[in-house]
Amino acid sequence: MRRRTFLQSSSALAGTAMLGGLPGGAGAQTAGGVVEKRSLITATAQLDPARPEIARLIAQACQKIGFNCEANPMDYNQGIQKVVMEHDYEMFLVILAGSPIRIDPQVFIYGMHHSGEHRRGGFNWMGYANPKLDALAVQQEGMLDLEKRKAPVFEAQQMIYDDQPGTIVAYPQLPMAHRSDKVKGLVPQLGEGIGSFWSDIGMEPIGGDGYVVTGHNADVKHLNPISANDIFEFYEIGMIYDRLMRIGPDGKPTLWAAKSVTAADDKTIDVTIRSGMKWHDGKPVTAEDVKFTFDYHLAQKAPFFLAYLRNIEAVDVTGADSVRFRLTKPFAPILSTVLAGVFLIPKHVWERIPGGGVDDALKFANENPIGSGPFKFDHWRRGQELKVSANKEHFSPPKCAGNLRVVYGSHDAMAAALEKGECHRTRYAIGASHVDQLKGKPNIVAKGYPTHGFYHLAYNNKIAPFNNPAFRQALNLVIPRQQISELVLLGYAEPGASVISPANAFWHNPAVKAPAEDTKKARDILQKAGFTWDGQGKLKYPA
Amino acid sequence: MGTYIARRLAHAALTLLAVATILFVLFRLMPGDPTAQVISPALDGAAQARLKAAFGLDRPLWQQYLIYLANVATLEWGQSFTTFEPVARIVADRMVNTLLLMSAGLAMAIGFGGALGMLMAWRRGGPLDIGATLAALVFQAAPPFVTGILLLMVLSYNLDLLPSAGMLTPGSKLFGLWEIVTSADFLSHLVLPTAAITVYYLATPMLIMRDSMLEVMGSDYVEFARAKGLSPAVVMVRHAARNALLGIVTVASLLLGFAIGGQVVVETVFSWPGMGKLMVEAATRHDYPVAQATFFMLATLVVGLNLLTDLSYGWLDPRIRTGHAR
Repeated sequence: MRRRTFLQSSSALAGTAMLGGLPGGAGAQTAGGVVEKRSLITATAQLDPARPEIARLIAQACQKIGFNCEANPMDYNQGIQKVVMEHDYEMFLVILAGSPIRIDPQVFIYGMHHSGEHRRGGFNWMGYANPKLDALAVQQEGMLDLEKRKAPVFEAQQMIYDDQPGTIVAYPQLPMAHRSDKVKGLVPQLGEGIGSFWSDIGMEPIGGDGYVVTGHNADVKHLNPISANDIFEFYEIGMIYDRLMRIGPDGKPTLWAAKSVTAADDKTIDVTIRSGMKWHDGKPVTAEDVKFTFDYHLAQKAPFFLAYLRNIEAVDVTGADSVRFRLTKPFAPILSTVLAGVFLIPKHVWERIPGGGVDDALKFANENPIGSGPFKFDHWRRGQELKVSANKEHFSPPKCAGNLRVVYGSHDAMAAALEKGECHRTRYAIGASHVDQLKGKPNIVAKGYPTHGFYHLAYNNKIAPFNNPAFRQALNLVIPRQQISELVLLGYAEPGASVISPANAFWHNPAVKAPAEDTKKARDILQKAGFTWDGQGKLKYPA
Repeated sequence: MGTYIARRLAHAALTLLAVATILFVLFRLMPGDPTAQVISPALDGAAQARLKAAFGLDRPLWQQYLIYLANVATLEWGQSFTTFEPVARIVADRMVNTLLLMSAGLAMAIGFGGALGMLMAWRRGGPLDIGATLAALVFQAAPPFVTGILLLMVLSYNLDLLPSAGMLTPGSKLFGLWEIVTSADFLSHLVLPTAAITVYYLATPMLIMRDSMLEVMGSDYVEFARAKGLSPAVVMVRHAARNALLGIVTVASLLLGFAIGGQVVVETVFSWPGMGKLMVEAATRHDYPVAQATFFMLATLVVGLNLLTDLSYGWLDPRIRTGHAR
C-alpha cells in the first residue's frame, strides 16, 4: 500500500513538472525540502545475476551525497513496460546490447538522445531534451562521408557525457569459450564474439565429420527473415540468407552480395549485385528479387526494419544485375541498417505468401528456408539441434561442412559439454563465472570478447531531482565503476563513459573518459548548484 | 456403473473448464504488458500495431477468451507466437519426449519401489527395511538437480561412460520415432535422467507398498494362506502383495501428473527437449498459445489419470463400483 501511494505521488509530481513547464530547475513544492527517496528499477537476478548487484552498489554509493535510493529488481517485462512504454519510473538500469545494427552511431546518438524519440516505445526514455544535441543528431544522420560525419558524432558524445541524462556504468565484454583442438579459424566480430557470421564461414573443424557443434542455451524461435527481431534468430538466418552488404568484423559495412554500392547523390544509391548467384533451389538471384525484397519488407511492415525502411522512397530495377535506391532524405545509416540489415528473399517463394494456408507473412513458419547464403538448411529438431550444411556453390563458401547448433539446458550444461569436447564453441556470451572456470582447462580458449554494448543507468529527466543537470553530474562522480567492473562483472568489463564504446574504435571519442570516483567533487557540484544537507546529512533541494 | 462413470466424466469436464479459464486469466495477470515480450517495445509504433493485429492481441479480452475456449474445445490451439508452428504439433512432439523419459523413470520407481516395499514389509525391521528407507528418503529430500548433477559428474564427466546432454548425439541421422527409441544412442542418453527420476520418486511407492503390505499381512486370509502351508514366497506375492497393490495404483497416477509438472528441473539439467522445458520457455516468452496448451494438457493429464484411477478402483474393488462404499 505504501508503495502505491509513493508511486502515485511521484507520477503526480512528474505531471506537474511537465504541465507547469518548469525548465531545468526544481519544482516549487520541492524547494528547500529533503530530496525524496528514489527507486532504481532493474531486472531480476534470474535474467542477469549482475544487474541487481550493480543496482545495489549504485544505491549504496548514492548515500555518499546524502541521496536515498533503493534498488528495485523486477520482472524484465514489467520494467520495460513502466520505463519504455509509460515513462513511469525514476531510475532504470539496463544493458543495451551491442547488436551489429548499433555499431552505427545512429541508435545511441539519435535514437537514445533526440528529443523526438521521447515517445511511447522510443529509446529516449530518459526524456532528455537538448536543442543543441538534437541539431547534432540530425546533422550526423545526413552525412554520407564517414570521416566528416565523425565530427558531429564526437561532439555529441562529449555533450551527452557532460549533460549526463543517463550514466554509462560499464562496458561489458562477451565471455565466450571454444575448443582449440576441435575448431580453428574463428573470427571474432565486434558485439558478437566468436559466434559471428565471419566465424561461421571462416572456421575450420579439426577432425570429426566437418561439422562444428555450436552451443546455445535456448532454441531458435523461427527462421522467418521478415519477422525476426532478435540477434539469436539473425545469427541462424544470416547463414542461410545473404545481405547486400554485411557488417565486417571491425564493425564497418562491407560489400557482400553487392558487387558495388555507389552514391549517385546524397539521396540516390546505386547497387550492382554479383553475377551468377543462385537460390538454394537452383533459380538465379536477380535484380527483381532485390527490388521485391525491399518492397515486400515495407509492405509487410517487417517489424525490425520498418523504422529504417521508411527512409526509402522506392527501389527501381535499373538493369539485370542492378537496382537504384531512392531515399526520402539523406540518411547515412542506410548502409548499416538497411543494406547490411535486410535479408534477400526469393520472389518466387515469398510472392505466394500470405496464401496457401498462411494468413500472415509475419506468422509464416518458413520451415524449409530457401536463401542464397553460404549455408543450406538441413534439418531442425525443435528444442535440440539446427543443422545447416555448406553451400559449396556460394561466392564465399564456408571452410567447414556445416554447423550444428545444439541447445543445452543451461550454461552449466554447455560449459560441461565444452569441457568434455562435445560442444566446440559457444554462440553467444555465457556466464562470466563459467568462463572463469573453463579458463586454463586443456584445449579450451575461454575469454571476454569486445562489444559496443553497455550497462546504462537512465534517470527520468522529467522529474526532480533528475531534472537538475548538477544532480546528475554529481551522481556520475560517485558511481563505483571500478568495483562494478571488477567485483560484479569479474573483470569482464571496463568502466563506462561515452555512449559510443571504445570497442567501437572508429566512432568512439577518446576524449570522453570514465571519471575517477570523487565524492568531494560531487558534493562541490551540488553545493554550487544550491543543494544543502540537513543535520542527518540528507540532501536538500536548493531553496 | 453407468451413472458412476457419467458423474465422474461430468466432474472432469467441469474441472477442465475451470482450469482453462484460470489459465487464461493467470497468463494475462503476469507482470508486464502481455504484448511486451511477444512484441518488442523497441520496435517502431506501426510495427507494433501490425504485430498485435497479426496475433489477435488487438481484440478485446472477451473476444480473445471466446476464441481461446473454442480452441480448447476443438484442441486446435492455433499458432505459437514465437515459432509460428501449429501449437498442437509442438506440444505433441514435446509430450512424446517427456512421456518417454517419464514412463521409463516412473516405471522403474514404481517397479523397484513396489518390490522393495514388499520385501521390506516381509522382513520388517531388518537391515533392508532400515537401509532402504533411509536411502529413499535421502534421495527424495535431495532436489533432483543435485542428484542429476552428481550423476552427470561421476558417470559422464569423470568416467565418460554416458553422454551428458540431450536425447541423441548431435548430428544423429535417426528421425523416425521407432528408429530413435530403439537405438543404442537414445537408450544411452536415457539412462542418466531415468536414474535421477527413479531415485527421486522411489520413496513414495516404496513406503506406500510397505505400509499396505503390513496392513494386509495382519489380515485373516494371509494367516489362513500360511496355515494352509503355502510357501512364504507364494503367500507374499500372490496373497499379500496383490491386495496391497491398490495403494500403488492411486499413487502411480498421482505421481505421473506430479512428475510431469516437476519434470522441468530434470529436463533442464539433462537438456532433455520435453514438455517441462517447453512450459518454462513458453511462460517466460509470453507465448500464450503454447503456454496455455501445455498447462492445459498437463491439467488434462492429471484429471484424466484421476478419472482412470477412480474407474479402475471400481474394477479392482467391486464395493466401489456397486455403490456400497458410498
